Amino acid sequence: MNPWIRLILYLVFAPLAGCLLAGWDRRVSARMQSRRGPPILQPFYDVRKLWQKQNLAVCPSQNYYVLFFLVLVIFTGALFFFGSDLLLVIFALTTASIFFVMGAYKASSPFSFIGAERELIQMMAYEPMVLLTAVGMYMVTKTFYVDGIANQKGLLVLTLPGVFLGFVYMLEIKFRKSPFDLSSSHHAHQELVKGITTEFSGRTLAMIEVAHWYESVFLLGWVYLFFASSPILGVVMSLLVYGFVVLVDNVFARLKWQSALRSAWVVTAVLGVGNILVLSLWR
Amino acid sequence: MSGINKSPWLLHYDASSCNGCDIETLACLTPIFDVERLGVLNTGNPKHADIFLVTGAVNEQSKVVIQNLYRQLPEPKVVVAIGACASSGGIFRDCYNILGGVDKVVPVDVYVPGCAARPEAIIDGVVKGLGVMGEKQAALTSLLAGLDNVVYARAEKTDAPSLHDLRKMAAQRDAVLHHSNTLPTLRQTVKSLEEEFGTRIFVKAVVNGKIIGAVSGSPNGPMVQVYGPAVHPYFENTGVRRDLLKEIEAAFPEAKRFETSAGHKSEVLLRDLAESGYQNFNTEVSTPNITRVHLRKVRP
Repeated sequence: MNPWIRLILYLVFAPLAGCLLAGWDRRVSARMQSRRGPPILQPFYDVRKLWQKQNLAVCPSQNYYVLFFLVLVIFTGALFFFGSDLLLVIFALTTASIFFVMGAYKASSPFSFIGAERELIQMMAYEPMVLLTAVGMYMVTKTFYVDGIANQKGLLVLTLPGVFLGFVYMLEIKFRKSPFDLSSSHHAHQELVKGITTEFSGRTLAMIEVAHWYESVFLLGWVYLFFASSPILGVVMSLLVYGFVVLVDNVFARLKWQSALRSAWVVTAVLGVGNILVLSLWR
Repeated sequence: MSGINKSPWLLHYDASSCNGCDIETLACLTPIFDVERLGVLNTGNPKHADIFLVTGAVNEQSKVVIQNLYRQLPEPKVVVAIGACASSGGIFRDCYNILGGVDKVVPVDVYVPGCAARPEAIIDGVVKGLGVMGEKQAALTSLLAGLDNVVYARAEKTDAPSLHDLRKMAAQRDAVLHHSNTLPTLRQTVKSLEEEFGTRIFVKAVVNGKIIGAVSGSPNGPMVQVYGPAVHPYFENTGVRRDLLKEIEAAFPEAKRFETSAGHKSEVLLRDLAESGYQNFNTEVSTPNITRVHLRKVRP
Protein backbone atom coordinates (compact mmCIF):
# COMPACT_ATOMS: atom_id res chain seq x y z
CA MET A 1 0.00 0.00 0.00
CA ASN A 2 1.17 3.52 -0.76
CA PRO A 3 2.70 5.03 2.41
CA TRP A 4 0.66 8.24 1.96
CA ILE A 5 -2.59 6.27 1.93
CA ARG A 6 -1.46 4.40 5.05
CA LEU A 7 -0.64 7.71 6.70
CA ILE A 8 -4.04 9.20 5.93
CA LEU A 9 -5.81 6.02 7.03
CA TYR A 10 -3.88 6.20 10.30
CA LEU A 11 -4.66 9.86 10.95
CA VAL A 12 -8.37 9.36 10.31
CA PHE A 13 -9.08 5.90 11.66
CA ALA A 14 -6.60 5.56 14.54
CA PRO A 15 -8.67 7.70 16.97
CA LEU A 16 -11.77 5.75 15.93
CA ALA A 17 -10.11 2.40 16.48
CA GLY A 18 -8.44 3.61 19.67
CA CYS A 19 -11.78 4.81 21.01
CA LEU A 20 -13.45 1.48 20.24
CA LEU A 21 -10.54 -0.39 21.83
CA ALA A 22 -10.82 1.72 24.98
CA GLY A 23 -14.59 1.19 25.07
CA TRP A 24 -14.15 -2.52 24.54
CA ASP A 25 -11.59 -2.53 27.37
CA ARG A 26 -14.06 -0.97 29.78
CA ARG A 27 -16.86 -3.26 28.68
CA VAL A 28 -14.77 -6.41 29.01
CA SER A 29 -13.31 -5.29 32.34
CA ALA A 30 -16.85 -4.76 33.63
CA ARG A 31 -17.89 -8.23 32.42
CA MET A 32 -14.87 -9.73 34.18
CA GLN A 33 -16.18 -8.13 37.38
CA SER A 34 -19.72 -9.42 36.62
CA ARG A 35 -21.02 -5.95 35.82
CA ARG A 36 -22.85 -4.83 32.70
CA GLY A 37 -20.38 -2.12 31.84
CA PRO A 38 -20.77 1.10 29.83
CA PRO A 39 -21.61 1.36 26.12
CA ILE A 40 -18.75 0.67 23.71
CA LEU A 41 -18.73 4.33 22.70
CA GLN A 42 -18.33 5.52 26.30
CA PRO A 43 -14.76 6.86 25.80
CA PHE A 44 -16.10 8.99 22.96
CA TYR A 45 -18.91 10.31 25.19
CA ASP A 46 -16.32 11.09 27.85
CA VAL A 47 -14.14 13.06 25.48
CA ARG A 48 -17.14 14.89 24.03
CA LYS A 49 -18.17 15.93 27.53
CA LEU A 50 -14.65 16.94 28.54
CA TRP A 51 -14.41 19.08 25.42
CA GLN A 52 -17.35 21.17 26.66
CA LYS A 53 -16.18 21.54 30.24
CA GLN A 54 -14.39 24.52 31.68
CA ASN A 55 -10.62 24.17 31.44
CA LEU A 56 -9.31 24.81 34.95
CA ALA A 57 -5.56 25.25 34.81
CA VAL A 58 -3.44 26.30 37.76
CA CYS A 59 -1.01 27.68 35.28
CA PRO A 60 -2.09 28.11 31.67
CA SER A 61 1.21 26.95 30.17
CA GLN A 62 0.65 23.39 31.44
CA ASN A 63 -1.92 22.94 28.70
CA TYR A 64 0.60 23.69 25.94
CA TYR A 65 2.77 20.80 27.08
CA VAL A 66 -0.20 18.49 26.73
CA LEU A 67 -0.94 19.90 23.28
CA PHE A 68 2.63 19.05 22.27
CA PHE A 69 2.23 15.61 23.83
CA LEU A 70 -0.79 14.99 21.59
CA VAL A 71 0.92 16.37 18.48
CA LEU A 72 4.06 14.30 19.08
CA VAL A 73 2.10 11.11 19.75
CA ILE A 74 0.27 11.59 16.46
CA PHE A 75 3.64 12.35 14.81
CA THR A 76 5.15 9.16 16.26
CA GLY A 77 2.36 7.03 14.87
CA ALA A 78 2.51 8.90 11.57
CA LEU A 79 6.23 8.11 11.22
CA PHE A 80 5.53 4.49 12.02
CA PHE A 81 2.69 4.01 9.57
CA PHE A 82 4.56 5.96 6.91
CA GLY A 83 7.18 3.21 7.09
CA SER A 84 9.92 5.40 8.50
CA ASP A 85 12.97 4.61 10.64
CA LEU A 86 12.08 2.70 13.82
CA LEU A 87 14.74 4.55 15.83
CA LEU A 88 13.22 7.89 14.86
CA VAL A 89 9.84 6.55 15.95
CA ILE A 90 11.26 5.65 19.37
CA PHE A 91 12.83 9.08 19.81
CA ALA A 92 9.57 10.79 18.87
CA LEU A 93 7.67 8.59 21.32
CA THR A 94 10.10 9.43 24.12
CA THR A 95 9.86 13.14 23.38
CA ALA A 96 6.07 12.91 23.52
CA SER A 97 6.16 11.23 26.93
CA ILE A 98 8.63 13.81 28.20
CA PHE A 99 6.23 16.61 27.25
CA PHE A 100 3.47 14.86 29.19
CA VAL A 101 5.73 14.60 32.25
CA MET A 102 6.74 18.26 31.96
CA GLY A 103 3.09 19.29 31.81
CA ALA A 104 2.44 17.41 35.04
CA TYR A 105 5.49 19.00 36.69
CA LYS A 106 4.33 22.41 35.59
CA ALA A 107 0.99 21.94 37.34
CA SER A 108 2.66 22.03 40.77
CA SER A 109 0.46 19.77 42.82
CA PRO A 110 1.91 16.97 44.97
CA PHE A 111 -0.27 14.38 43.24
CA SER A 112 0.73 15.35 39.74
CA PHE A 113 4.36 15.52 40.94
CA ILE A 114 4.22 11.94 42.18
CA GLY A 115 2.55 10.94 38.93
CA ALA A 116 5.24 12.69 36.88
CA GLU A 117 8.05 11.11 38.88
CA ARG A 118 6.54 7.65 38.51
CA GLU A 119 6.00 8.21 34.81
CA LEU A 120 9.73 8.91 34.50
CA ILE A 121 10.47 5.69 36.38
CA GLN A 122 8.16 3.82 34.03
CA MET A 123 9.96 5.31 31.05
CA MET A 124 13.22 4.10 32.57
CA ALA A 125 11.65 0.67 32.90
CA TYR A 126 10.38 0.26 29.33
CA GLU A 127 12.82 2.31 27.24
CA PRO A 128 15.62 -0.36 27.13
CA MET A 129 13.18 -3.03 25.94
CA VAL A 130 11.78 -0.74 23.25
CA LEU A 131 15.27 -0.08 21.94
CA LEU A 132 16.14 -3.79 22.06
CA THR A 133 13.00 -4.53 20.07
CA ALA A 134 14.21 -2.23 17.32
CA VAL A 135 17.70 -3.75 17.51
CA GLY A 136 16.31 -7.29 17.37
CA MET A 137 14.20 -6.45 14.34
CA TYR A 138 17.27 -4.94 12.70
CA MET A 139 19.33 -8.06 13.32
CA VAL A 140 16.81 -10.23 11.57
CA THR A 141 15.81 -7.93 8.71
CA LYS A 142 18.98 -5.79 8.34
CA THR A 143 16.89 -2.64 8.25
CA PHE A 144 15.46 -0.15 10.73
CA TYR A 145 12.79 0.96 8.28
CA VAL A 146 9.27 -0.15 9.19
CA ASP A 147 8.55 -0.70 5.50
CA GLY A 148 11.49 -3.05 5.15
CA ILE A 149 10.64 -4.91 8.33
CA ALA A 150 7.01 -5.34 7.27
CA ASN A 151 8.03 -6.77 3.89
CA GLN A 152 10.28 -9.39 5.46
CA LYS A 153 9.60 -12.99 4.42
CA GLY A 154 8.75 -15.25 7.35
CA LEU A 155 7.34 -14.44 10.77
CA LEU A 156 9.63 -12.25 12.83
CA VAL A 157 8.23 -13.71 16.03
CA LEU A 158 9.78 -17.08 15.23
CA THR A 159 13.30 -15.66 15.39
CA LEU A 160 12.47 -13.08 18.09
CA PRO A 161 10.24 -14.90 20.59
CA GLY A 162 12.05 -13.46 23.62
CA VAL A 163 11.97 -9.95 22.23
CA PHE A 164 8.27 -10.35 21.49
CA LEU A 165 7.47 -11.46 25.06
CA GLY A 166 9.61 -8.65 26.43
CA PHE A 167 7.75 -6.21 24.19
CA VAL A 168 4.39 -7.45 25.48
CA TYR A 169 5.67 -6.99 29.04
CA MET A 170 6.65 -3.44 28.09
CA LEU A 171 3.18 -2.84 26.64
CA GLU A 172 1.70 -3.49 30.09
CA ILE A 173 3.75 -0.56 31.35
CA LYS A 174 3.12 1.61 28.32
CA PHE A 175 -0.68 1.20 28.55
CA ARG A 176 -0.46 2.20 32.25
CA LYS A 177 -2.41 -0.87 33.26
CA SER A 178 -2.20 -2.86 36.49
CA PRO A 179 0.24 -4.01 37.76
CA PHE A 180 2.01 -0.99 36.27
CA ASP A 181 -0.59 1.76 36.77
CA LEU A 182 1.87 3.63 38.96
CA SER A 183 1.71 7.06 37.42
CA SER A 184 -2.01 7.30 36.90
CA SER A 185 -4.90 4.98 37.47
CA HIS A 186 -8.44 4.54 36.25
CA HIS A 187 -9.65 3.71 39.73
CA ALA A 188 -10.65 6.23 42.36
CA HIS A 189 -9.79 6.61 46.03
CA GLN A 190 -6.08 6.14 46.07
CA GLU A 191 -3.06 7.88 47.45
CA LEU A 192 -2.38 9.10 43.91
CA VAL A 193 -5.76 10.75 43.24
CA LYS A 194 -5.20 10.65 39.46
CA GLY A 195 -1.44 10.94 39.43
CA ILE A 196 -0.05 12.52 36.33
CA THR A 197 -3.44 13.72 35.04
CA THR A 198 -4.72 15.11 38.36
CA GLU A 199 -4.34 18.75 37.45
CA PHE A 200 -5.71 18.56 33.92
CA SER A 201 -9.35 19.17 33.18
CA GLY A 202 -11.70 19.98 30.31
CA ARG A 203 -10.19 20.06 26.84
CA THR A 204 -6.70 19.29 28.04
CA LEU A 205 -7.86 16.05 29.61
CA ALA A 206 -9.76 15.28 26.41
CA MET A 207 -6.51 15.76 24.46
CA ILE A 208 -4.75 13.31 26.78
CA GLU A 209 -7.48 10.75 26.12
CA VAL A 210 -7.25 11.21 22.36
CA ALA A 211 -3.46 10.90 22.55
CA HIS A 212 -3.93 7.57 24.30
CA TRP A 213 -6.20 6.38 21.49
CA TYR A 214 -3.53 7.19 18.90
CA GLU A 215 -0.88 5.64 21.13
CA SER A 216 -2.73 2.32 21.53
CA VAL A 217 -3.17 1.95 17.79
CA PHE A 218 0.48 2.73 17.17
CA LEU A 219 1.63 0.23 19.83
CA LEU A 220 -0.63 -2.49 18.48
CA GLY A 221 0.77 -1.66 15.03
CA TRP A 222 4.16 -2.52 16.41
CA VAL A 223 2.85 -5.86 17.70
CA TYR A 224 1.57 -6.45 14.16
CA LEU A 225 5.14 -6.02 12.83
CA PHE A 226 6.13 -9.28 14.54
CA PHE A 227 3.57 -11.11 12.38
CA ALA A 228 3.72 -8.83 9.34
CA SER A 229 4.25 -11.59 6.77
CA SER A 230 0.81 -12.97 7.59
CA PRO A 231 -1.54 -9.93 7.85
CA ILE A 232 -4.55 -11.78 9.26
CA LEU A 233 -2.48 -13.45 11.96
CA GLY A 234 -0.94 -10.02 12.67
CA VAL A 235 -4.29 -8.35 13.28
CA VAL A 236 -5.56 -11.27 15.35
CA MET A 237 -2.40 -11.33 17.44
CA SER A 238 -2.45 -7.55 18.12
CA LEU A 239 -6.05 -7.87 19.32
CA LEU A 240 -5.15 -10.90 21.42
CA VAL A 241 -2.25 -9.01 22.99
CA TYR A 242 -4.64 -6.16 23.81
CA GLY A 243 -7.07 -8.65 25.35
CA PHE A 244 -4.21 -10.10 27.37
CA VAL A 245 -3.28 -6.64 28.65
CA VAL A 246 -6.91 -6.09 29.75
CA LEU A 247 -6.99 -9.48 31.47
CA VAL A 248 -3.76 -8.77 33.35
CA ASP A 249 -5.15 -5.38 34.33
CA ASN A 250 -8.07 -7.11 36.03
CA VAL A 251 -6.22 -9.87 37.83
CA PHE A 252 -3.24 -8.01 39.27
CA ALA A 253 -2.86 -5.46 42.01
CA ARG A 254 -0.43 -2.60 41.58
CA LEU A 255 3.30 -3.19 42.05
CA LYS A 256 5.57 -0.86 43.94
CA TRP A 257 7.82 1.17 41.66
CA GLN A 258 10.90 -0.73 42.85
CA SER A 259 9.48 -4.08 41.78
CA ALA A 260 8.08 -2.62 38.57
CA LEU A 261 11.48 -1.29 37.57
CA ARG A 262 13.38 -4.39 38.68
CA SER A 263 11.03 -6.84 36.96
CA ALA A 264 11.03 -4.80 33.75
CA TRP A 265 14.81 -4.79 33.62
CA VAL A 266 15.07 -8.47 34.49
CA VAL A 267 12.65 -9.23 31.65
CA THR A 268 14.67 -6.98 29.34
CA ALA A 269 17.94 -8.65 30.31
CA VAL A 270 16.71 -12.23 30.16
CA LEU A 271 14.23 -12.19 27.27
CA GLY A 272 15.48 -9.21 25.25
CA VAL A 273 19.25 -9.44 25.62
CA GLY A 274 19.10 -13.25 25.77
CA ASN A 275 17.22 -13.47 22.49
CA ILE A 276 19.58 -11.07 20.77
CA LEU A 277 22.61 -12.92 22.16
CA VAL A 278 21.35 -16.22 20.81
CA LEU A 279 20.61 -14.57 17.49
CA SER A 280 24.12 -13.15 17.17
CA LEU A 281 25.77 -16.46 18.09
CA TRP A 282 23.54 -18.39 15.71
CA ARG A 283 24.47 -16.43 12.65
CA MET B 1 -22.67 19.68 20.52
CA SER B 2 -24.12 18.38 23.74
CA GLY B 3 -24.56 14.93 25.24
CA ILE B 4 -22.79 16.21 28.31
CA ASN B 5 -25.06 14.01 30.41
CA LYS B 6 -23.77 10.77 28.92
CA SER B 7 -20.63 10.69 30.99
CA PRO B 8 -21.20 11.88 34.55
CA TRP B 9 -18.04 11.62 36.59
CA LEU B 10 -18.59 11.73 40.32
CA LEU B 11 -16.72 13.08 43.28
CA HIS B 12 -17.89 11.71 46.61
CA TYR B 13 -17.20 13.40 49.92
CA ASP B 14 -18.39 12.44 53.38
CA ALA B 15 -18.92 15.59 55.43
CA SER B 16 -19.54 13.73 58.73
CA SER B 17 -22.10 11.10 59.44
CA CYS B 18 -22.80 7.56 60.50
CA ASN B 19 -21.28 6.36 57.17
CA GLY B 20 -24.58 4.77 56.14
CA CYS B 21 -25.05 6.96 53.09
CA ASP B 22 -21.40 6.48 52.03
CA ILE B 23 -21.79 2.77 52.03
CA GLU B 24 -24.96 3.08 49.98
CA THR B 25 -23.25 5.47 47.57
CA LEU B 26 -20.38 3.06 47.01
CA ALA B 27 -22.91 0.24 46.70
CA CYS B 28 -24.09 1.94 43.50
CA LEU B 29 -20.77 0.98 41.90
CA THR B 30 -21.08 -2.72 42.74
CA PRO B 31 -22.28 -5.36 40.27
CA ILE B 32 -25.91 -5.21 41.46
CA PHE B 33 -26.44 -1.54 40.64
CA ASP B 34 -23.39 -0.92 38.41
CA VAL B 35 -23.80 2.76 37.63
CA GLU B 36 -20.90 2.52 35.19
CA ARG B 37 -23.42 1.23 32.65
CA LEU B 38 -24.70 4.84 32.60
CA GLY B 39 -21.17 6.07 32.02
CA VAL B 40 -20.69 7.03 35.66
CA LEU B 41 -17.13 7.01 36.94
CA ASN B 42 -16.11 7.61 40.52
CA THR B 43 -13.12 9.86 39.96
CA GLY B 44 -11.96 10.96 43.39
CA ASN B 45 -10.51 14.05 41.71
CA PRO B 46 -12.53 17.30 41.79
CA LYS B 47 -10.89 18.61 38.61
CA HIS B 48 -12.20 15.66 36.61
CA ALA B 49 -15.63 15.48 38.22
CA ASP B 50 -19.00 16.80 37.07
CA ILE B 51 -21.22 15.83 39.96
CA PHE B 52 -20.29 16.42 43.58
CA LEU B 53 -21.99 13.95 45.94
CA VAL B 54 -21.95 14.99 49.58
CA THR B 55 -23.14 12.75 52.38
CA GLY B 56 -23.54 13.74 56.02
CA ALA B 57 -24.16 16.99 57.84
CA VAL B 58 -21.65 19.80 57.59
CA ASN B 59 -19.50 20.59 60.62
CA GLU B 60 -16.89 23.26 61.21
CA GLN B 61 -14.08 21.06 59.88
CA SER B 62 -15.74 19.71 56.77
CA LYS B 63 -17.07 23.14 55.77
CA VAL B 64 -13.73 24.31 54.39
CA VAL B 65 -13.13 21.02 52.59
CA ILE B 66 -16.52 21.12 50.89
CA GLN B 67 -15.99 24.70 49.74
CA ASN B 68 -12.51 23.84 48.47
CA LEU B 69 -13.69 20.82 46.53
CA TYR B 70 -16.66 22.71 45.13
CA ARG B 71 -14.40 25.43 43.77
CA GLN B 72 -12.15 22.91 42.08
CA LEU B 73 -14.94 21.34 40.02
CA PRO B 74 -14.96 22.74 36.49
CA GLU B 75 -18.17 24.34 35.17
CA PRO B 76 -20.87 23.15 34.55
CA LYS B 77 -21.10 21.35 37.88
CA VAL B 78 -23.88 19.90 40.00
CA VAL B 79 -24.04 19.28 43.74
CA VAL B 80 -26.16 16.41 45.06
CA ALA B 81 -26.85 16.22 48.81
CA ILE B 82 -27.39 12.58 49.75
CA GLY B 83 -29.42 11.59 52.79
CA ALA B 84 -31.29 13.43 55.49
CA CYS B 85 -28.12 14.76 57.15
CA ALA B 86 -26.68 16.27 53.98
CA SER B 87 -30.06 17.74 53.09
CA SER B 88 -30.91 19.40 56.39
CA GLY B 89 -28.59 18.27 59.17
CA GLY B 90 -30.83 15.31 59.99
CA ILE B 91 -30.81 14.04 63.53
CA PHE B 92 -27.51 15.84 64.12
CA ARG B 93 -28.96 19.26 63.32
CA ASP B 94 -29.01 20.48 66.94
CA CYS B 95 -25.45 19.41 67.77
CA TYR B 96 -23.17 22.26 68.81
CA ASN B 97 -20.69 21.65 65.97
CA ILE B 98 -23.16 21.05 63.14
CA LEU B 99 -23.89 23.88 60.72
CA GLY B 100 -26.74 22.04 59.01
CA GLY B 101 -27.16 20.68 55.48
CA VAL B 102 -24.72 21.08 52.63
CA ASP B 103 -26.71 24.02 51.26
CA LYS B 104 -25.41 26.08 54.19
CA VAL B 105 -21.97 26.19 52.54
CA VAL B 106 -22.35 25.55 48.78
CA PRO B 107 -25.33 25.75 46.41
CA VAL B 108 -27.10 22.39 46.20
CA ASP B 109 -28.99 21.29 43.05
CA VAL B 110 -30.53 17.96 44.06
CA TYR B 111 -31.57 16.60 47.45
CA VAL B 112 -31.84 12.83 47.93
CA PRO B 113 -33.98 11.92 50.95
CA GLY B 114 -33.52 8.87 53.12
CA CYS B 115 -31.74 7.64 56.22
CA ALA B 116 -29.77 5.98 54.87
CA ALA B 117 -30.58 6.93 51.27
CA ARG B 118 -31.15 3.80 49.20
CA PRO B 119 -28.90 3.14 46.18
CA GLU B 120 -31.94 3.39 43.87
CA ALA B 121 -32.69 6.83 45.28
CA ILE B 122 -29.06 7.89 44.89
CA ILE B 123 -28.99 6.78 41.25
CA ASP B 124 -32.26 8.65 40.77
CA GLY B 125 -30.66 11.74 42.33
CA VAL B 126 -27.65 11.52 40.03
CA VAL B 127 -29.92 11.20 36.99
CA LYS B 128 -31.86 14.28 38.19
CA GLY B 129 -28.51 16.01 38.59
CA LEU B 130 -27.71 15.17 34.97
CA GLY B 131 -30.84 17.05 33.92
CA VAL B 132 -29.68 20.07 35.90
CA MET B 133 -26.23 19.81 34.36
CA GLY B 134 -27.75 19.70 30.87
CA GLU B 135 -29.66 22.90 31.65
CA LYS B 136 -26.54 24.59 33.00
CA GLN B 137 -24.58 23.54 29.93
CA ALA B 138 -27.32 24.85 27.62
CA ALA B 139 -27.26 28.17 29.47
CA LEU B 140 -23.47 28.40 29.14
CA THR B 141 -23.59 27.48 25.44
CA SER B 142 -26.19 30.12 24.70
CA LEU B 143 -24.04 32.65 26.57
CA LEU B 144 -21.01 31.60 24.52
CA ALA B 145 -23.04 31.91 21.33
CA GLY B 146 -24.05 35.43 22.34
CA LEU B 147 -20.48 36.53 23.00
CA ASP B 148 -20.38 38.48 19.73
CA ASN B 149 -22.88 40.96 21.07
CA VAL B 150 -21.81 41.63 24.62
CA VAL B 151 -23.48 44.75 25.95
CA TYR B 152 -21.45 46.94 28.27
CA ALA B 153 -23.47 49.20 30.54
CA ARG B 154 -23.40 50.94 33.88
CA ALA B 155 -24.56 48.62 36.65
CA GLU B 156 -27.24 49.82 39.06
CA LYS B 157 -27.79 49.02 42.70
CA THR B 158 -30.46 46.50 41.68
CA ASP B 159 -27.74 44.44 39.99
CA ALA B 160 -26.01 43.88 43.32
CA PRO B 161 -27.24 40.29 43.89
CA SER B 162 -26.12 39.06 40.47
CA LEU B 163 -22.84 40.97 40.74
CA HIS B 164 -22.33 39.30 44.08
CA ASP B 165 -22.86 35.85 42.51
CA LEU B 166 -20.47 36.68 39.71
CA ARG B 167 -17.74 37.86 42.08
CA LYS B 168 -18.06 34.74 44.19
CA MET B 169 -17.80 32.57 41.10
CA ALA B 170 -14.75 34.41 39.81
CA ALA B 171 -13.15 34.36 43.26
CA GLN B 172 -13.42 30.55 43.36
CA ARG B 173 -10.73 30.38 40.73
CA ASP B 174 -8.51 32.82 42.59
CA ALA B 175 -8.97 30.84 45.78
CA VAL B 176 -7.83 27.67 44.00
CA LEU B 177 -4.89 29.41 42.33
CA HIS B 178 -3.63 30.94 45.57
CA HIS B 179 -4.52 28.07 47.89
CA SER B 180 -6.36 30.55 50.04
CA ASN B 181 -9.67 30.50 51.83
CA THR B 182 -9.45 34.00 53.16
CA LEU B 183 -10.04 36.09 50.05
CA PRO B 184 -12.20 39.06 51.10
CA THR B 185 -14.47 38.56 48.07
CA LEU B 186 -15.46 35.11 49.29
CA ARG B 187 -16.82 36.59 52.52
CA GLN B 188 -18.48 39.63 51.02
CA THR B 189 -22.21 40.06 51.49
CA VAL B 190 -24.74 41.55 49.09
CA LYS B 191 -25.29 44.38 51.57
CA SER B 192 -21.64 45.43 51.64
CA LEU B 193 -21.60 45.30 47.86
CA GLU B 194 -24.64 47.58 47.73
CA GLU B 195 -22.77 50.04 49.93
CA GLU B 196 -19.93 50.13 47.38
CA PHE B 197 -22.34 51.69 44.90
CA GLY B 198 -22.15 54.91 46.96
CA THR B 199 -18.50 55.52 46.12
CA ARG B 200 -17.82 53.63 42.91
CA ILE B 201 -18.96 53.39 39.32
CA PHE B 202 -19.75 49.83 38.16
CA VAL B 203 -19.63 48.62 34.56
CA LYS B 204 -21.19 45.28 33.68
CA ALA B 205 -20.84 43.00 30.65
CA VAL B 206 -24.19 41.46 29.74
CA VAL B 207 -25.03 38.58 27.39
CA ASN B 208 -28.64 37.52 26.91
CA GLY B 209 -29.59 39.45 30.03
CA LYS B 210 -27.04 37.66 32.20
CA ILE B 211 -24.07 39.45 33.74
CA ILE B 212 -20.84 37.65 32.79
CA GLY B 213 -18.35 40.27 33.86
CA ALA B 214 -18.07 43.39 35.95
CA VAL B 215 -15.53 46.01 36.95
CA SER B 216 -15.72 48.99 39.25
CA GLY B 217 -13.69 52.14 39.78
CA SER B 218 -13.61 54.79 42.46
CA PRO B 219 -12.13 58.22 41.73
CA ASN B 220 -9.45 59.55 44.04
CA GLY B 221 -8.31 62.94 42.76
CA PRO B 222 -6.70 62.49 39.32
CA MET B 223 -6.29 58.76 40.01
CA VAL B 224 -8.95 56.06 39.66
CA GLN B 225 -8.68 52.86 41.69
CA VAL B 226 -9.96 49.96 39.57
CA TYR B 227 -11.45 46.95 41.34
CA GLY B 228 -11.84 43.59 39.64
CA PRO B 229 -12.32 43.11 36.75
CA ALA B 230 -14.20 39.88 37.48
CA VAL B 231 -15.23 37.58 34.65
CA HIS B 232 -17.33 34.41 34.73
CA PRO B 233 -14.77 31.55 34.79
CA TYR B 234 -16.17 30.06 31.59
CA PHE B 235 -15.29 33.26 29.71
CA GLU B 236 -11.76 33.75 31.07
CA ASN B 237 -10.05 33.73 27.69
CA THR B 238 -12.56 35.63 25.60
CA GLY B 239 -11.34 39.21 25.83
CA VAL B 240 -14.35 40.34 27.87
CA ARG B 241 -12.02 41.50 30.62
CA ARG B 242 -9.95 43.69 28.31
CA ASP B 243 -13.15 45.27 27.01
CA LEU B 244 -14.31 45.85 30.58
CA LEU B 245 -11.07 47.69 31.30
CA LYS B 246 -11.62 49.90 28.26
CA GLU B 247 -15.17 50.65 29.40
CA ILE B 248 -14.19 51.61 32.92
CA GLU B 249 -11.49 53.92 31.56
CA ALA B 250 -14.06 55.51 29.28
CA ALA B 251 -16.34 56.01 32.30
CA PHE B 252 -13.76 58.37 33.82
CA PRO B 253 -12.86 60.77 30.99
CA GLU B 254 -11.12 63.20 33.36
CA ALA B 255 -8.85 60.70 35.12
CA LYS B 256 -5.08 60.94 34.57
CA ARG B 257 -4.11 57.48 35.72
CA PHE B 258 -5.62 54.15 36.78
CA GLU B 259 -4.36 51.83 39.47
CA THR B 260 -5.33 48.28 40.33
CA SER B 261 -3.93 45.21 42.03
CA ALA B 262 -4.07 41.45 41.54
CA GLY B 263 -2.83 38.26 43.19
CA HIS B 264 0.52 37.10 41.81
CA LYS B 265 -0.87 33.73 40.67
CA SER B 266 -3.77 35.17 38.65
CA GLU B 267 -1.84 34.74 35.42
CA VAL B 268 -4.70 35.36 33.04
CA LEU B 269 -5.81 38.51 34.85
CA LEU B 270 -2.23 39.83 34.92
CA ARG B 271 -1.84 39.06 31.23
CA ASP B 272 -5.04 40.92 30.38
CA LEU B 273 -3.93 43.87 32.50
CA ALA B 274 -0.53 43.92 30.82
CA GLU B 275 -2.13 43.80 27.39
CA SER B 276 -4.36 46.69 28.37
CA GLY B 277 -1.32 48.82 29.20
CA TYR B 278 -1.06 48.35 32.95
CA GLN B 279 2.46 48.25 34.35
CA ASN B 280 3.67 46.74 37.57
CA PHE B 281 4.99 49.37 40.00
CA ASN B 282 4.95 47.59 43.35
CA THR B 283 4.44 44.21 44.98
CA GLU B 284 3.46 43.54 48.55
CA VAL B 285 3.19 40.30 50.53
CA SER B 286 -0.30 40.36 51.95
CA THR B 287 -0.58 36.80 53.28
CA PRO B 288 1.90 33.88 53.14
CA ASN B 289 0.05 32.58 50.06
CA ILE B 290 -0.70 35.80 48.24
CA THR B 291 1.60 38.50 46.98
CA ARG B 292 -0.38 41.44 45.68
CA VAL B 293 0.91 42.98 42.49
CA HIS B 294 0.06 46.67 42.09
CA LEU B 295 -0.30 47.97 38.58
CA ARG B 296 -0.72 51.40 37.08
CA LYS B 297 -1.72 52.82 33.73
CA VAL B 298 -1.11 56.45 32.86
CA ARG B 299 -3.49 57.91 30.32
CA PRO B 300 -1.48 59.23 27.39
